[in-house]
Amino acid sequence: MEIDGTDSLTLVFGALADPTRRAILARLTLGDADVSELMKPFNLTQPTISKHLTVLEKAGLVTRGRDAQRRPRKLVATALKDVADWVEPFRRQWESRFDNLDSHLSSMKKKEK
Amino acid sequence: MPPRNHTLANTNVIVDRTNNTIVLTREFTASRELVFEAWTQPEHVARWWDASGNRLKSCEIDLRPGGAFRFVHQGSPEIPPFAGTYRTIAPPGELVFDAMGSIGKVLLQDIDGTTLMTVSIACASAAHLDQFLQMGVDEGTSQTLDNLVAYLGGLKR
Repeated sequence: MEIDGTDSLTLVFGALADPTRRAILARLTLGDADVSELMKPFNLTQPTISKHLTVLEKAGLVTRGRDAQRRPRKLVATALKDVADWVEPFRRQWESRFDNLDSHLSSMKKKEK
Repeated sequence: MPPRNHTLANTNVIVDRTNNTIVLTREFTASRELVFEAWTQPEHVARWWDASGNRLKSCEIDLRPGGAFRFVHQGSPEIPPFAGTYRTIAPPGELVFDAMGSIGKVLLQDIDGTTLMTVSIACASAAHLDQFLQMGVDEGTSQTLDNLVAYLGGLKR
């Protein structure tokens, strides 16, 4: 990830900051869905869903499918991959650290006994 | 090092862009008292802090509000020491410190004998947050879809 990718990443992180939008993305990982299909599980109105979809589209996380009638939304996997690439090495570093802590806690417990 | 199975991530990371905060969570099958001790006694910190698994070259802890700490890594001069000042020391639930221009907070919650640890790193600005995230980038390798799904799972919590 280049530094100049930060601006688009800021949009992506802004889009991901909302739990409903994350839930919409999680739903789209299972397959494309149109607005009415997205309304049902979230119990939200059509304008609310559309508003969230606009934010997700601007961030490049979601695109519209070809079917003009349904206008199904599609997940843009590469955009999410950019985010995961950005965070994953950081997460892994802390995971190693906490793995060390976990095994050290076990040895502390043994000494206590 | 033997390969570890990381398909199921034990450590979740949430990047809160609104508050410029990184939040890490992890569960341990140990009491809060023990985890708190592991964070605050130099002989313990020295054994786990370095992600590479090496023991720290030196670890100094002046455990009182306003007291300083300094964790120095072995061998790699390019890794700056992790140094700062303690703000709050409230065993066994809370430890707060200033370090590297950010505020670190370790919260330990007891859940039926196991400990849920929440480490939050509050950065001063969005740029500072990016800098923090980048610190782990050199260790990065390729990304699989499994990791992505695990990451999304982490976000949902």
